[in-house]
Amino acid sequence: MKNIFKDISEADRLRALKYAKVGTSVAYSIFRYALLISVGFIILYPLLYMIVTSIMSANAFNNSTRVWIPTELSAALNYSRANEAFGDVKWGYLMALGNTLKYEVISALLQVVTCSVVGYGFARFDFKAKKLLFGVLFLTILVPDMVVLIPRMVNFSNLDFMGIFGAIEWLVEWIGSWFGADLTAFDLTPNVVNTGWTMWLPSLFGVGLRSGVLIYIYIQFFSGLPRELEEAAWVDGAGPFKTFLRIAVPSSSVVFITVLVFSLIWHWNDSLLSGMYFTENLPLASGLNGIETYMIQRWGLYFQASSPQAASIIMAACIMFITPMLVFYMFIQRGFIESIDRVGITG
Amino acid sequence: MSKLKKNRGIESLKSRYGLMFVLPWVVGLIMFFFIPIVQSLYYSFCTVVVTAEGVQTTWVGLDNYTEILKADPNYTTWLSESIGSFAYSLPIILVLSLILAMTLNQNFRGRVFFRALYFLPVIIATGKVMSFIFRTTDEDLSGMGVSSGMASSMISVEDLTGALNLSTEIATFISNAINDIFNLVWSCGIQIVLFLAGLQSIPATLYEASRVEGATKWEEFWFITFPMLSRITLLVGIFTMVELFINERSPMIEQVFGKMRSGQYDISSAMIWFYFIIACAIMGVIILAFTKLVMKRYDA
Repeated sequence: MKNIFKDISEADRLRALKYAKVGTSVAYSIFRYALLISVGFIILYPLLYMIVTSIMSANAFNNSTRVWIPTELSAALNYSRANEAFGDVKWGYLMALGNTLKYEVISALLQVVTCSVVGYGFARFDFKAKKLLFGVLFLTILVPDMVVLIPRMVNFSNLDFMGIFGAIEWLVEWIGSWFGADLTAFDLTPNVVNTGWTMWLPSLFGVGLRSGVLIYIYIQFFSGLPRELEEAAWVDGAGPFKTFLRIAVPSSSVVFITVLVFSLIWHWNDSLLSGMYFTENLPLASGLNGIETYMIQRWGLYFQASSPQAASIIMAACIMFITPMLVFYMFIQRGFIESIDRVGITG
Repeated sequence: MSKLKKNRGIESLKSRYGLMFVLPWVVGLIMFFFIPIVQSLYYSFCTVVVTAEGVQTTWVGLDNYTEILKADPNYTTWLSESIGSFAYSLPIILVLSLILAMTLNQNFRGRVFFRALYFLPVIIATGKVMSFIFRTTDEDLSGMGVSSGMASSMISVEDLTGALNLSTEIATFISNAINDIFNLVWSCGIQIVLFLAGLQSIPATLYEASRVEGATKWEEFWFITFPMLSRITLLVGIFTMVELFINERSPMIEQVFGKMRSGQYDISSAMIWFYFIIACAIMGVIILAFTKLVMKRYDA
């Protein structure tokens, strides 16, 4: 067989190689942008759909010829109805937002703090039963909140820790009865259902909403942090807590941002826990959860979730629900994306 | 006593400090995790009546379980539905989020924009909003005859049956499949974030060395990226599995939650425990297989 490439000069060969390389990289970048844009479309489409649906009237929604531009607008009506569906005719949305800030956001912040302490303890110190506790940490990630929800609820209606507070209460009342005093009003085991403590207490002890994952992220980060600075602080006589506060925390803004974002999002979107603990003063997520029932009770059977009347209201409510988080994300976005690069989760 | 104190080195001191750091968590664990787990398991074997004084339980043995498995016709359906959707969602979500994370990890024009865009589902995706957007089409058809699901706004069942002469089953299937694609991409948010963090922590020197040795991209992936990511893959996998089992859109969780809210503590406990045990068995097998087959090879 004749070699057809025999007469090609060395320079030509190199040039061909270069073209081939450029060709591959061009093809690769076309593929990359095609992938990114098509997935980006999948991400943006529902958002646009939500916005457009939320401002159109039922007639426009029913009109099969419209695609994106609604033929008839009723944004004001849709949004005022969605506002009402959050619980109050005038201030429904703002009240629900206030509840979310009070219950969920404070709980999220508490969780960020407590989990950092626990994570630091795991990452920096060797102690007895560390392996066992680490296994338990994994267990907390695996067990869904649904499993422990009811007993927690029962406990919250009569808050107690292993019967200790109840025993003290009983003891005080018993001693009081010796002296003829009526101390039945003495209450160490209050009913905290419908108060913020249902969210705050677990977060305060680092067993709140998906704390396991957050503690795990902290452990990963703190283990990767150089020890030298902290050891120097130790030598200079700073205690462990001082070292943690003054040395470890200031150099860990990256992990704090990551965990803060996760914790806030999960709390914001949580309707399982808050739906169980609160029967009044509902936060946004629970309000959104009950919106279908509310609409049918308020405006009749035509407002079933799949009906055109209801679809626009639901989408308006969804927009109202996600807007605060979107604004928050816009502010924190740059820091969050950078922190993802530097947080150093290695599994 | 004094002798003991002398022997206590810095190590034992540190051990005590470590316990101090995790102590609040341990207290919380006992109060909000271990005791509730035992109680919840106990409730599932009882009839539970809530009275003003508290909760009254009567032991009934396995009655609750036989009721949900034999008397309730829906429970097993929900169970198989949940497991079915889990079986195809898990691999797709993991592979897709890894591909997207690797793409976003490269240097290209518009990287900042795309990253910001791809993290959007992280903000929105976990809540009720998702289930409102991704309503399936069959549900709509049974409702008012008008589809309000998002996918059906793109290609509705009526369009497919009308224009393309497809049978209703195939049209419904296509419409549902499109809905699923949206659903799965939207479920990838946190996974992409975690994978990106993992990718960033792989030292660049490894890639430089392999490039000097003349490794192709394909080899780079299988011999550097994948082994270095194996531990984070496990974390992401566990997270995804838990997420898939307990997301609020699954019919099982919806039903159990409804029963819990209406005060049927006994039946709902049994329902969630049976579901949880099945889920745990599946997750256990997958985790074990992954650690034994994949991670052990690289750690050794």
